[in-house]
Amino acid sequence: MKVVVCTKQTPSTTAVFSVNNGAVSWEDSGGKPNVVNPWDEYAVEEAIRVKENHGASHAIALTMGAPDSQEALKTCLAMGCDEAILVSDPSFAGSDTLGTARILAAALEKIDGAKVVIFGKQAIDGDTGLTPVQVARKLGWTPVTYVSAIKEIKGHTITLERLLEDGKETVTTDLPVVISVVKEINEPRYPSFMGIRKANRATIPTWSATDLDVNGGVGAAASQADWSHVYSIPAREGSVEIIEGDSVEEKVAALVDKLFEEKVI
Amino acid sequence: MSAVWVWVENRGGEIIAVGKEAIGAARMVADELGEDLVGIVFGHNVADIATAAFDLGCDEVIGCDDETLDKTRIEAVGPLLVGQIKEHEPAAFIIGGSTRGRDVAAWVAADLDLGVVTDAVSLEVDGDVVKATRPVYAGKLLATAFAKSSTQIVTLRSRAFPQAESTGNTGSADWIDAMVDEDDIPTKVVGFEGKGNTVSLTDASIIVSGGRGVGGPEGFGPVRELADVLGAAVGASRAAVDAGWIPYDHQVGQTGKTVSPDLYIANGISGAIQHQAGMRTSKIIVAINKDGEAPIFKLAHYGIVDDLFKVLPALTAEFKKRL
Repeated sequence: MKVVVCTKQTPSTTAVFSVNNGAVSWEDSGGKPNVVNPWDEYAVEEAIRVKENHGASHAIALTMGAPDSQEALKTCLAMGCDEAILVSDPSFAGSDTLGTARILAAALEKIDGAKVVIFGKQAIDGDTGLTPVQVARKLGWTPVTYVSAIKEIKGHTITLERLLEDGKETVTTDLPVVISVVKEINEPRYPSFMGIRKANRATIPTWSATDLDVNGGVGAAASQADWSHVYSIPAREGSVEIIEGDSVEEKVAALVDKLFEEKVI
Repeated sequence: MSAVWVWVENRGGEIIAVGKEAIGAARMVADELGEDLVGIVFGHNVADIATAAFDLGCDEVIGCDDETLDKTRIEAVGPLLVGQIKEHEPAAFIIGGSTRGRDVAAWVAADLDLGVVTDAVSLEVDGDVVKATRPVYAGKLLATAFAKSSTQIVTLRSRAFPQAESTGNTGSADWIDAMVDEDDIPTKVVGFEGKGNTVSLTDASIIVSGGRGVGGPEGFGPVRELADVLGAAVGASRAAVDAGWIPYDHQVGQTGKTVSPDLYIANGISGAIQHQAGMRTSKIIVAINKDGEAPIFKLAHYGIVDDLFKVLPALTAEFKKRL
């Protein structure tokens, strides 16, 4: 049994964005502008734990993206993944979640013995959270989303705990599965010194469109969703009203008046 | 002519808040398009849900009452919906912003090659196209988004739309049979541990939040006391969570919860961009901070520049007097 973690390279959480003539760019003065999608760090950690605790033979990191996504995959190797694979082709650019799902499904079908596929709950750029279920559908596997614990993998059965708005649901299902995980599932490890050295020496194979048997449309032309019109958030109209007063009690009473007037209490 | 559909998410014999929000938003879309609104009511023992869906403004209801649909398992719900959408080809399908709702959207779109717009915070109809405004890049930018497919699927951000209200409308639902037998569903729900009576952050109409300025775990005491008086949920900035002062499930921000309450009271929170990404759509934001230069005051509607350990108890006392 192999476990595959699907990760994506995204802007860092501290990246500052600008939009010029509809083109989005970002920079991060304090660090790397592009990182492993922060929600995926939990997925990478969990994949390594499936190997350590549930008997998987390999933990493999898989990324679809531009060639520079190699950097994110190196982070996965440094954390402890055994192998990394980049899926990259100019024709894949502009794919929506469905196109992405078709490409990832084709790549997963090439990995013999993959039984558990792990995603983060969403990526912090598109923020759709649709891809895990859509990959599962393209593979004909079972999707289980928002997983907060892998309780047990026994034979062909996996027991999972899901974190939903109203509580924790425990489910059992059959392998193979595609799951998405939430932050509560673990505490991701830091890459070790040895891991970083290994990752820097590693050659990461790239699979292109000709290496994959993709079923259905990919790329911008096949995309069924358009969110090309991106813009900066308009500054809030008006400025803050600082409540003044001679005492804390006076300020507080004035604030409470305002909140009743706003009808938010 | 093809109708607008809405996912009537229900649990424990009631239409839940995101379901009512979806009906309200879908009613607006249907009216703009000049189409009927069809409520999709799936579950077990859901006759009353269908009645409630009519009352909240649905013109028609397609219902399925079956034990397999009880826990909204996607493997039972998905194939049934796919079949219905194929048959009726609705113009749009509006789904509330919940974990289960997103699964429904993803499944249906994957099987029928449909486009999905997630996380809409407002909607407008432009010709036949349902255009959504949605936050992207973790709420740091906005996009106008639409689906290009024949059926346009839109999921909503929780609390971004007002809940539909009673209209007095009645009708009789079109009840259909379930499609998947229990034996053919690999996933079994073997346990559930509810959250109890605590107000969840994403559902809360008021959130009282604490950040680095509360100084330690005990600093959340006055935050909680104010929250209790207001029936509010307790939020926190990442700094407070990382310091171990309060569990992660209280975290508001880019790597925590995204919230849109009517009132957000930020105490001792400087207002880093990652925190703002999680709460900027709140209707009214109040900032309480000693540092009048803190970025949170750029976002806030009302501010008090003072020691939160003096302001919070006074605020709690004032609300106790007046509520």
